[in-house]
Amino acid sequence: MVLSPKLRYVGSRLVTTMLVLVSATILLFSLTLFIPGNPAEVLLGPRATPEAVQAYSHIMGLDRPMLERLAIFLGNVLTGDLGRDVISGRPVLDLVLEVFPYTLTLTLASIGLAIVLGVPLGCYAATHPGSVLDQIGAVTSVAFIAMPNFVVAVFLVLIFSVWLHWLPVLGVGRDGGWGDAVLRLVLPAVSLALSWIGYIARLLRASLLEVLGEAHIRTARAYGVPERRIVYRNALKLAAIPTVAILGLGVGRLLGGAIFAEIVFARPGLGTLVYDAIAVRNYPVVQAAVLVVVAVFTVTNLLTDLTYLWLDPRLGRRLGEAR
Amino acid sequence: MTDFSRRQILGAAATTALIGAAGFPFPVLAQQGRSSVTLAIGRDIQGLLTPANRVGAIEGNIMRAVCQGLIRFKPGSFEWELSAAKKLDQVNDTTIEFELNPGLQFHGGFGEMTADDVKFSFEQFGQVGADGKPAGYAKDWATLDHVEVTGKYTGKILLKSPAPQLWLVVLPDNSGLIISRKAFEAGCYRSDAQPIKLIGTGAYTLAEWVPNQRVVLKTNPEWKGAKPTFPEIVLQPVRDPKTAELALRANELQFTPVEPADAAEIQKEKDTQLLRQDSINYVWIGLNVEKPPFDNPKVRQALKLAIDVEQVVAGAYNGTVKPAYALMAPGLLGYWADAPKPKPDPAAAKKLLAEAGHPNGFKCTLTLMNKPTYQAIGQIVQALLGEIGVQVDLQVLDAGAYYAIGKGDTGKNLDMALQRFGGKADPAFQTQWFVASQIGTWNWQRWNDPAFDEASAKAASTNDKAERNRLYIEAQKRMEASGAFIWLTHEANIFAFRPWLKPAVLPNGDDMLYDRFTTA
Repeated sequence: MVLSPKLRYVGSRLVTTMLVLVSATILLFSLTLFIPGNPAEVLLGPRATPEAVQAYSHIMGLDRPMLERLAIFLGNVLTGDLGRDVISGRPVLDLVLEVFPYTLTLTLASIGLAIVLGVPLGCYAATHPGSVLDQIGAVTSVAFIAMPNFVVAVFLVLIFSVWLHWLPVLGVGRDGGWGDAVLRLVLPAVSLALSWIGYIARLLRASLLEVLGEAHIRTARAYGVPERRIVYRNALKLAAIPTVAILGLGVGRLLGGAIFAEIVFARPGLGTLVYDAIAVRNYPVVQAAVLVVVAVFTVTNLLTDLTYLWLDPRLGRRLGEAR
Repeated sequence: MTDFSRRQILGAAATTALIGAAGFPFPVLAQQGRSSVTLAIGRDIQGLLTPANRVGAIEGNIMRAVCQGLIRFKPGSFEWELSAAKKLDQVNDTTIEFELNPGLQFHGGFGEMTADDVKFSFEQFGQVGADGKPAGYAKDWATLDHVEVTGKYTGKILLKSPAPQLWLVVLPDNSGLIISRKAFEAGCYRSDAQPIKLIGTGAYTLAEWVPNQRVVLKTNPEWKGAKPTFPEIVLQPVRDPKTAELALRANELQFTPVEPADAAEIQKEKDTQLLRQDSINYVWIGLNVEKPPFDNPKVRQALKLAIDVEQVVAGAYNGTVKPAYALMAPGLLGYWADAPKPKPDPAAAKKLLAEAGHPNGFKCTLTLMNKPTYQAIGQIVQALLGEIGVQVDLQVLDAGAYYAIGKGDTGKNLDMALQRFGGKADPAFQTQWFVASQIGTWNWQRWNDPAFDEASAKAASTNDKAERNRLYIEAQKRMEASGAFIWLTHEANIFAFRPWLKPAVLPNGDDMLYDRFTTA
């Protein structure tokens, strides 16, 4: 059976994704090997007797050969068993699934906001190069990119919560329904999104300017195709490829960046889960949360790669020619 | 595409401005009524909610509001008063007799509190869990032999040896709280079962715990004592102190601990009040006496002479705390009022270093936790020791890595560590960490002095108050002579809150009496 170039491309990307996930899992497993001293001692605390440490080491399988432990760990991960929280005794997967929707919501809200504001800004700047708005956009974009997120967050809280009393600071809401939850999402999402708005706007401006100068765009203009149609239907699709690539990485970075937003705005999420777990050396929770972030990151990158095929049909043709 | 006219744009802008001026009618703006109060906690609760296996002060404070002990602390002091007990008497050195108030009902239909519940609660500290894990706070009741039930409401606490510290760090504290045997056997108090059920006879019930979001306490309908002021207390985990401060200013929180260095700034805010208490905790720089060059007493003395404690404390805490010169804080039994207050003398320090074979100083590391105050201390110490030629590298670690670094064999590699321990009302709690058996656990100085161990042990097992006082001062003299401890401060607890609120905090600053929070 002969596979089409596109299918072979998808297959190879899937294999790479799986390899990344397995490598990350092995790396996370090796984390336990670097804990100073016996992990059972760490978990049981300073008051543990040597007998208790020995018994707990056996329960944790620490007396087994390392490769056997690695095989068991990989097997457990594959079956969805990420272990138990060493403090509460609850399955770690439950803990992660409880908070993951909050982190995902925050990440998607931030990236959505960045796209909704960054893309029109970038398009406007590319179609009106050198205009006053383009120059203002350039300055503000660079300012947004340069400002650290936590500084933005503190200023936003000061302005909109402390002075104006418009928006709440803490948490995700309590019995306030969707309206309250959305209001509590505004400040963390904006503080995460601001730098990305600037980034997307500048990147899109540059690539759109380049595409607008290409021969097929000149031909379209010569045929009298309306400028709006050329920009939004023809050029934007091609110019979006670098932006999509950056957004793919951005989801991963925003998942990591969500830690700061969750701490500053006291929101539940993977960030606060990991933060608390590291403080008490609750390694199964750290491993599981990081594994979920890695999985989301690699899957997002896979989707990003596949999006190229849709955005630029020439890529599919080039894959065929390469064969 | 629709084009907007200038009129439409101006109209939209005007409407937005009007909504803004009207104060944005969102529900979050509604001031919380006095029926509910929201207090900040530094992290979410974790782990089993039993006195024997609690994780720390945050869980302890919740348990204290939900459960009763035989006795309890009065707000703002370490004096105690009767709580679940009608009578509590020490009849001899190793026997304490108690009689419970009849009619104390565990909420949730778990019946009346009896002497058997007291026996179950206290003896649980000696139990090893099914997973082989000993009780986290087993040491608190290490002197307990058993509890003898003599009647439905009466019993005897029989000790293996005299234990005066029980009256200040166990019975009125979290390790003295009484839980229901029936509820425990029915699977309550377990954090691996959701929703977690914390059953007690106290003023509040744990009505709701949404992990990582909030803990809600509501008044216990079965409670027959003085009615708490607030029908509902919401505990909001806020990990970042700056966020807590901003949330207080936005009136989303009504009470939060604040960093001493920020106190002066917060004081300027209107509608915000500060409570400042001198604490009994202790912050110090410990020197590893096993590792060269700190194994040389002259080097340790040189460092003590080079570090100007007053300057360190004034700089790092913004002048809000007092310097410390010994382990016990003022007001505690064993407080050493005449402890030496060495004047900083870099010249003498250099001379001592030269005598110790280090005329040009040496390089070393100061390990500390990644908190702004501690980092400020580290930088000042770095500068002060630099004056005598000692080059200090700061090793700044997160809490997890920090607490592991002094443990076991890894602790042998420590040079100096900036440490902070929480204090309790009885000096036995403070001295227990510095005995030889704690080397590799909490005694990061790896200091081994049999005379100190003996004085501590004797003081912890006699009921003679004057003798205990003498022995604890003696123990602190041994610490001072070792040169392994450079005391910095006993800290101060500073809390910011709304002026209408009257918080109830114990002198160590970590322990709260939520059921005694009231309106000013």
